[in-house]
Amino acid sequence: MPESVRELVERFKPPVSVRTYGTVFTDTTEFMNIGYGDVIKLGGRYYLVLGDERERRFGMEDPKFWVKRCVEMESGQYRILKLEFQESFDQHIGSLTITCHRSAAKEARILRLVAGDMRFMQGLGVRDERGNLARVLERVAGRRLDLNIEDLHQSHREYFQETFPGILQRFIGACRAIHHLHQHGETHGDIRRDHLYVDHKTGEYCWIDFDYGYDSVENPFGLDLFGLGNILSFITGKGVHTIQDVDAEALGITEADCALFFRHRVVNLRKLFPYIPADLNNVLMHYSAQSEVFYESVPELLADLEPCLENLRRA
Amino acid sequence: MDIKNILISVDASDNAMRAVDYAASILANAEGVRVTLLYIERAPNRDKFDDEAAWLNQCKLDHDRVFDFLKTARQKLVAAGLPEASVHERTVLCSAEPSIAQTILDVQQAEGFGTLVVGRRGLTKGEEFLFGSVSSKLVHNAKNCAVWVVQ
Repeated sequence: MPESVRELVERFKPPVSVRTYGTVFTDTTEFMNIGYGDVIKLGGRYYLVLGDERERRFGMEDPKFWVKRCVEMESGQYRILKLEFQESFDQHIGSLTITCHRSAAKEARILRLVAGDMRFMQGLGVRDERGNLARVLERVAGRRLDLNIEDLHQSHREYFQETFPGILQRFIGACRAIHHLHQHGETHGDIRRDHLYVDHKTGEYCWIDFDYGYDSVENPFGLDLFGLGNILSFITGKGVHTIQDVDAEALGITEADCALFFRHRVVNLRKLFPYIPADLNNVLMHYSAQSEVFYESVPELLADLEPCLENLRRA
Repeated sequence: MDIKNILISVDASDNAMRAVDYAASILANAEGVRVTLLYIERAPNRDKFDDEAAWLNQCKLDHDRVFDFLKTARQKLVAAGLPEASVHERTVLCSAEPSIAQTILDVQQAEGFGTLVVGRRGLTKGEEFLFGSVSSKLVHNAKNCAVWVVQ
């Protein structure tokens, strides 16, 4: 490792035992070989690798070997480096299988589009010396929305009456952010509740991870609308409610009251919580197995959802 | 709108060829009809390809497949008895916006097609939600023309 980089490592290495002087990588093609203590040089800056990022879902942790937690040594700022990893894979939504691709170019393009727009994670695409397109990302100073909601110690009624209107207001803002992408011919591509963060300072919502793409289809925004529906159901219900968790017979809940793609997940939440207004429940029912009408665009969704917020505020 | 001015929208799929077969059988002895085979071309998503060369190669493969499809479709219509001069092919480029269905309807309206023929994939409700259906949109939005949907 060159002396100049050693000095930087000495300044910014974390205060724990590390393999201090690793390799300086200017070509990130073999990202599996880049690990703790190595340094990645991108765009004239040096990034000390602290480890691989992990995806935490359903209590499991999956390492993402192409996503490195780093310190930018010139500034001392924490950064996440997503290294180029072009792949196609099958994604399963209920019984449907969709071929999806991971695209560095798409994410870099969206980062350019949303630069300065705090409704989205911030960063920029930078090519390494081999031409691989890495994305240098700022850490979102916040926490996943779903974890925040799960941690609330309120009954559903208290939550719905006191906390939910504020959450719905911000969720509507997050929907408008997605519409902004759509207006520019882009999609988020992977709208899930763990991809929406709450800023610690402002409380505003921030979308992360835009690298999933799909083949062109007649309804290009369908998958994003599907994701928004799932989050709406989660925030309205203060969690996921499965048909197994409730007394379905007593409540008159059938498969028709469940989600179109997840036939065990109740979306007719008014049957569980009768104080949920009918207009809001009707929005949720667009995502149910019995629905014949679907939202094709964010404005269609918001045309139904925004009056629900106004009615909640008046109630 | 002239009902004998017929637009068959195709996409090089088996469903589209079924629509051509159906139209050929119905129109076999019809007089004074004019048939246009319309292909709405949408380039494959550039994001899923490693480089420009791979993307261009896929564009060429798609183009060749459609060229072969249109040639076969023309042969079927002529073999059914339609005069060579009454069968036309047309390709229109389309990006994500407007949709393929809207592009078809724009052509139909602009050129006065009174009959619109399209194949149907038979999507499930879930697939229709996530991906959208061209034939459903045509049925819902077509004006001043008959729509034949061939399953």
